[in-house]
Amino acid sequence: MALLRNTSTDIRQEIPAEDAASLLAKLWDESATTRRLVARDLARFPEASHRLAERLEEESDSSVREAIITSLAALADITAVTALIDCLHSEDAALRNDAIEGLKTAGGLYPSLIQEALQDGDPDVRILAIGVLESLRHPDVEQWLIDLLDHDAHLNVCACAVDLLCEIGSGRAIPALERCSERFPNEEYLHFAVGLAIQRLQGEGTL
Amino acid sequence: MTVNVKKALAISQEDFVKFREFFYRKTGIQFEDSKRYFVDKRLIERIEATGAENFRDYFINLRFQSSSDELQQLVNVMTVNETYFFREEYQLKCLVNHMLEDVVRRKRDTSPIRIWSMPSSSGEEPYSIAMYLLENWKGINEWDVELIASDIDTAILDRARRGIYSPRSVHNLPSALLEKHFRPLASGDYQISDELRQSVEFSRVNLMSATDVRQYRGFDVIFCRNLLIYFDDLSRRQAADTFFDALNPGGMICLGHSESMSRISSLFVVRKFPDAIVYQKPLEGR
Repeated sequence: MALLRNTSTDIRQEIPAEDAASLLAKLWDESATTRRLVARDLARFPEASHRLAERLEEESDSSVREAIITSLAALADITAVTALIDCLHSEDAALRNDAIEGLKTAGGLYPSLIQEALQDGDPDVRILAIGVLESLRHPDVEQWLIDLLDHDAHLNVCACAVDLLCEIGSGRAIPALERCSERFPNEEYLHFAVGLAIQRLQGEGTL
Repeated sequence: MTVNVKKALAISQEDFVKFREFFYRKTGIQFEDSKRYFVDKRLIERIEATGAENFRDYFINLRFQSSSDELQQLVNVMTVNETYFFREEYQLKCLVNHMLEDVVRRKRDTSPIRIWSMPSSSGEEPYSIAMYLLENWKGINEWDVELIASDIDTAILDRARRGIYSPRSVHNLPSALLEKHFRPLASGDYQISDELRQSVEFSRVNLMSATDVRQYRGFDVIFCRNLLIYFDDLSRRQAADTFFDALNPGGMICLGHSESMSRISSLFVVRKFPDAIVYQKPLEGR
């Protein structure tokens, strides 16, 4: 027994790339491994977003779901981003977290969809959408957070917005932080968080 | 009399952004603004080497050249290939002390154990693995091991196949191993033994290319150290997917000391061994 050079042809052999139609036909295959590989391959085909989104709705295998989400994030068209935002409504925490990761890269291309998620009727979805903003490269992120501070009725949503402004905000957010504190006069935790954020944004203290 | 004064080449911010997006789409490698000097310098080198008049001409040729030769040349100069033998040795110890025992326990046949080193750079990592197996793993007497080493840079792969190293590359090797496995050259460099050179299969792979990685399956251990730090979030996830599919169930991947798979993908489980933390593909479907 010894160190062997790979004498088989497996890594040199070119496997011909399949076309979109052939791959899409396998997206409902019985084997999770096949579905996963197909989902990854479909990232090359813009026309695949719709079918990937459909598959995601009924897919139960988490490794396949992760592959679908990564492909949707790579395709990053309006269908793909909408499908990722829909995942924020899921009861499945792993799916929600994967979708947030996908939206951090793809979401910036469709800011209006992210803004809609920030105004969703479900406060949990709004909180998850704030999680997306954390890494979203968009110039209006700070303004969106300021809008939440001024208008969102839910304490936890505002608290999340305060936390994120503390990291990415500027002095421009300070008046909105003060107004938000006044909107929730009996919430000591929020007052504390707002105080820290203002201190940070004024550059007066070290957190 | 006419004097031809060649205008100094310059890369504008707009050119830089355009190039950065193109290079990212092709390779998954993302250059931050802080890398501007590094990128500009190498781009200008390639513009001059190809005889292009300016960035615009060069970029048109790069995008529409059917052979991709220039893209490959560009990849070769843009990738960082700094490494040395027995770098992050604790992972090699972990390989021979724990990981391979784990792999062997699960094997149901006598097929070779397969190890993938990606990126191989100039060969220091795969040859270090080979040496470590020969010197420190008893199982090498009972099991065949296949070592496959890949990189996106074809020039560096040629260097890896030649196996000639500077004293700096081998500085971390015990002298006994240097004497045993290397031949000193008149230039002051060292060439690794033919036996070791012949034990590693080198191949060109672009981790972001579905066509390139499709054949890479059935590995028990993958070393991918200090590569993912050059990728952005999406490319890291795609690379993690590639490694997941390349590994056998229960197979393990070693990343660089500053990298964490847990921050990239939830597909793997953390395995804490005494020598190192590695990431494992679950045995059964999750």
